[in-house]
Amino acid sequence: MKPRRTARFFLYAVLPVIAIVSFLVVYPTIRGVIMSFQNYNLYNLRNVHFVGLENYKAIFTDSRFYEDLWNTVLWIAGSVSLQFVLGFILALLMWKPFKGRGIYAGLVFYPWALSGFAIGLVWSWLMNGTFGVINDILLRFHIVKYPIHFLSDPKWAMWSVILINVWYGIPFFAIMILAALQSVPSSVVEAAMIDGASAARRLFQIVIPYIKPTLLSTLLLRVIWVMNFPDIIYGTTRGGPAGATETLSVYMINIVFYENDYSKAATVGVIILSILIAYAIIYMKTTSYEELEL
Amino acid sequence: MRRKWISLIRYLLLGVYLVFALFPLVWIFLTSIKSPMEVYSFPVKYLPSKPTFQNYQKLFSYAHFGKYFKNSLAVAGVSALASTIMASLAGYALARFKNRWVFPIVLLLFFVQMIPAYLIMIPQYVMFSKLGMLDKLISVMLIYSGIGSAFSTIMARGFIARIPIELEEAAMIDGCTRLCSLFRVTFPLVLPGLSAVFSFSFVNSWNEIFVASLFLNSDDKMTVPVALYSFISKAGVNWGFLSAGLVIALLPTIIVFAFAQRYIVEGLTKGAMKY
Repeated sequence: MKPRRTARFFLYAVLPVIAIVSFLVVYPTIRGVIMSFQNYNLYNLRNVHFVGLENYKAIFTDSRFYEDLWNTVLWIAGSVSLQFVLGFILALLMWKPFKGRGIYAGLVFYPWALSGFAIGLVWSWLMNGTFGVINDILLRFHIVKYPIHFLSDPKWAMWSVILINVWYGIPFFAIMILAALQSVPSSVVEAAMIDGASAARRLFQIVIPYIKPTLLSTLLLRVIWVMNFPDIIYGTTRGGPAGATETLSVYMINIVFYENDYSKAATVGVIILSILIAYAIIYMKTTSYEELEL
Repeated sequence: MRRKWISLIRYLLLGVYLVFALFPLVWIFLTSIKSPMEVYSFPVKYLPSKPTFQNYQKLFSYAHFGKYFKNSLAVAGVSALASTIMASLAGYALARFKNRWVFPIVLLLFFVQMIPAYLIMIPQYVMFSKLGMLDKLISVMLIYSGIGSAFSTIMARGFIARIPIELEEAAMIDGCTRLCSLFRVTFPLVLPGLSAVFSFSFVNSWNEIFVASLFLNSDDKMTVPVALYSFISKAGVNWGFLSAGLVIALLPTIIVFAFAQRYIVEGLTKGAMKY
């Protein structure tokens, strides 16, 4: 085929995606960055002007930002580490085939397709402090004396939303790790078994190194994704009680829906995006590119 | 002996996890068919003594849940279809051509993954309000297909790259043009993959709440998540009623997932992430 016609085909094929992504994602992102240097309030649209770094100064001097940053760290570290460890264990348990494994996978992996917001609502009923079934079970087995207010007690709230996120996120890790495990050649594992290597040694010295690329890229993507995931918190606490579960992404949405201060919301958004880009760069630099399956 | 113990523990743990995974959904269904009295009893009454579907009836009569359901179906269906069509074309080009544009485009599509929907929804809101397109389903469809098409392209590209190019070349030698070989040879082969791309973006659009609740305000435009949100904002929560809404809201994605799980998993794990 003539090169010019080939080039034209390429152009026509990628153009729709490039056009819609530029118009609806890239352009708004640039607008958002510009907005973060402006005064842009919904109720005062006639008075939009540049204010330099004022918005950033206002946010960086507000203690709410640092509390939310800390909550974000807790939210990510708690959720991702537990999702990872438990998802890994589930994948190992499902590695060796058993009768009905396909059906089992369907029954335990489904949370992955659900709406995070709806899941938040489901669990806030389970965790309800007055009529919740979890409290009922804990009381029946005399594990607690009084019902726990999982979502309205600041001491418990963050751990409760993390638990929900763990329930939600285990399948994702299990799916990815199980697929990677199935690519580990069984001959290698069997050879080590014959040589008398213990189960722990087989796991840490053969299996984990073999699937390391999947583990690393899954972790990278998951951290980004969990940081951008206000849905569960919005379905349960909306950041409360008293800001105990307000992560940066929840903060931003609260600004949009309650304060109408668009430039402030955009500023928080730009800060989140900058943190994510910095994180991705550092992560890719410290783990060599060949190990990342991107 | 030791082997037997290990396998017993394994099945025990698998069983425990099964209960953990299924319990919330079973519980919300049980709540939805209880009478109001039984929903609010403590100690909890585990099984409804007289199962009733009155919550579901109320959902579709008093609240216009049928309407919200149709809106969600339209929004998710149209945007998934649009982004799958665009993604299969672009995915094909990015998988089959080797020129200096491929890498920057793929990189751009990856970068877009990092930008979450709610970060850009304010500028989008301003844009659409200037065009007079607020409170319209079509605006939400456009935004979902814009955000969805980036990841769909990455996924489609992974599936297409796995189809041997020789098949196309053979068809082209037999006198088929590129477009003809694309539709006659490549797309039929990659159809399971493309159905996974479609399901994935359908699920994502069905579940989205923040853009929808910012853009859609009038009652007859609401999607299912926005409606659920409005049920809790209005004077306290009626949990029996909300549970029925949740069951209806969660069902479609569970069904889609049941059908497409195998291919989605394949698409996410093999090649989709590879450059």
